[in-house]
Amino acid sequence: MSEFVFATGQYESGDWDSAPLVPANLIDSLAKYTSLPVAPTGAIVALASDDLFRFPLVYLTGHLPVRFTEAERANVRRFADRGGMLFVDDHNHDIDGAFHKTAVEELGRAVGKLTQLANTHPLYSSFFKFPDGPPNTAHELNGWGDNLVHSHLLAAMRGDRIAVLYSNKDYSSEWGYHPDNKRFLSIDNTKFGVNVIVYALTR
Amino acid sequence: MPSPAERVRRVAELVLRATALAALAVLLWRALRPPTAAGVSVAAGDLTRALERWTLAGPAELRVVLDKAPDARTRDWIRALAHSGSQAQWAASRPIRGSAVIAEPASEPSGATRVRFAAAGGEPVSIGDAAGTIDTLSRGGAAELELASVAGSVRASGATFTAATAARDSIALKPLLVLGAAGWESKFTIAALEERGWRVAARVRVAPNVEVTQGPLGAIDTGRYSAVIALDSTAASSATAIARYAHDGGGVILAGASARIGGLSSIAPGDVGRRIAGVAGGVTSASPRTGLGVFPVTSLVSNGVALESRASTVTVAARRVTAGRVVQTGYDETWRWRMAGGDEAAAAHREWWSRLAAAVAYAPLVARVPAADEVIDETPLASLIDALGPPATMDTRVAPASDGTRTTRFLFLLAVGALLLEWASRRLRGAR
Repeated sequence: MSEFVFATGQYESGDWDSAPLVPANLIDSLAKYTSLPVAPTGAIVALASDDLFRFPLVYLTGHLPVRFTEAERANVRRFADRGGMLFVDDHNHDIDGAFHKTAVEELGRAVGKLTQLANTHPLYSSFFKFPDGPPNTAHELNGWGDNLVHSHLLAAMRGDRIAVLYSNKDYSSEWGYHPDNKRFLSIDNTKFGVNVIVYALTR
Repeated sequence: MPSPAERVRRVAELVLRATALAALAVLLWRALRPPTAAGVSVAAGDLTRALERWTLAGPAELRVVLDKAPDARTRDWIRALAHSGSQAQWAASRPIRGSAVIAEPASEPSGATRVRFAAAGGEPVSIGDAAGTIDTLSRGGAAELELASVAGSVRASGATFTAATAARDSIALKPLLVLGAAGWESKFTIAALEERGWRVAARVRVAPNVEVTQGPLGAIDTGRYSAVIALDSTAASSATAIARYAHDGGGVILAGASARIGGLSSIAPGDVGRRIAGVAGGVTSASPRTGLGVFPVTSLVSNGVALESRASTVTVAARRVTAGRVVQTGYDETWRWRMAGGDEAAAAHREWWSRLAAAVAYAPLVARVPAADEVIDETPLASLIDALGPPATMDTRVAPASDGTRTTRFLFLLAVGALLLEWASRRLRGAR
């Protein structure tokens, strides 16, 4: 059985590499809580590349406007149709922000309209239990960005599977620290990241 | 005293009257005579009228010359006559091709019907149902079709036969159970099977004591699952139950290296060899599975059958285990085929997994009542020989069937014509 490789998507517009510490942090959590073989380092994969299809879960983030090239759009569509899952997080935490507006528009064009994901979805119980839906981030509770606590994530579906999971909650900031610093947290805030990965690997 | 011409005329009138009376007498006799028991020869064509006549007459001997295998109704009718005292023989005016067609439900949730056909080569064959032609074979031979739906009977027609069939059973499929570790192979195997319509229960291990589950889970037995798919070593904890399930009639797929598991190696078609890497870029080629890594199936057991090979390496093999069936597929990471293959890769990956499951699935047959419009005559020539024996040696250049209608018509016209002429002759010479 091959190792799970956490992949970050690289797109030509915007700042795709705005959260470089997130992969290491989630890899650390996955190794800590599960017995899954996981590659110690993540991978970076261009959305327009055929390599995209080697990584059925791809994490996408950024602050700046997102405009897919034709090749990126076609690849993302094919990726979703074949069963891949994009986890997209708005690093701005701002529903009027450039990333949110453009990313939602682009993803809608490439994969399909994003709709609210029910907080009872299996995503929230795939490993840890989140009975109230997506956990809130410190940035939401501090009133940064759009000053909103987003109660739901958005998703584009293929059948009953999530093809695109979209978050306004700025997990990219929430999880963007060195894994060693988890010891300073009373509750590990990356647990929901483990759920996202386990969901992608099992559903 | 009448002139000589007058005398000739009167003689002619007498002859005409006698002819008319004779014709009427013959007609009367033909109408009143008991049915004869004469041997009859009938040429090719519609035998219905001849059969009706023979049914009334009960001839001692029937000779039937055929240019194609008769339908089941005609065949049964002749056999009934033969069983009621007539000696029945048949011969063919040209070679009638042996043929067979059968339809059975495919062990897949799509509800497809699998039609298998075979005919002695030599003549074009058209296969179709009530909705129209499905396929043609230019020179007979054998064919297998999988039809999503069938309207009425399936017919395979050549110049000398029409074989017809309909699925006589349906099948009762239960869910599949997939056992594996959390990973892309588990995810995409489950997805492929679900997308082909299978109901899938799964136990996917994430951590030593944590499993993600779906579907109906319970003891592994044929009352609950149609097949069990072991993707990796996580099936070890259920190995004893899986082996017992196979012996009880269940279907098992051992994927990758799972056949190495102690309790499962006893039911595996072979041993597990050292992994061979896939050919770079192979998943996008015309033979996409060459791009996948594979654990070769080695040392096949005596009843093991190789289903798929790569060069001299067996990649998929099957065997029977008591009442059950086991398939061992050495391919691992088949998800790479689905994700990175060509345009048809996702569909092909689905179909491949579904066919593997269908090949082993425990699927008890449920008898169904054929609809009124479904004709079943699966082996017309064999059934003809079974009913009437082999063809007899006799002259097949016989006259067309005659049921006496022409004779009757001729006698009637003769009587009427003679009477009219005799009456006209008398009236013209002034007699009454």
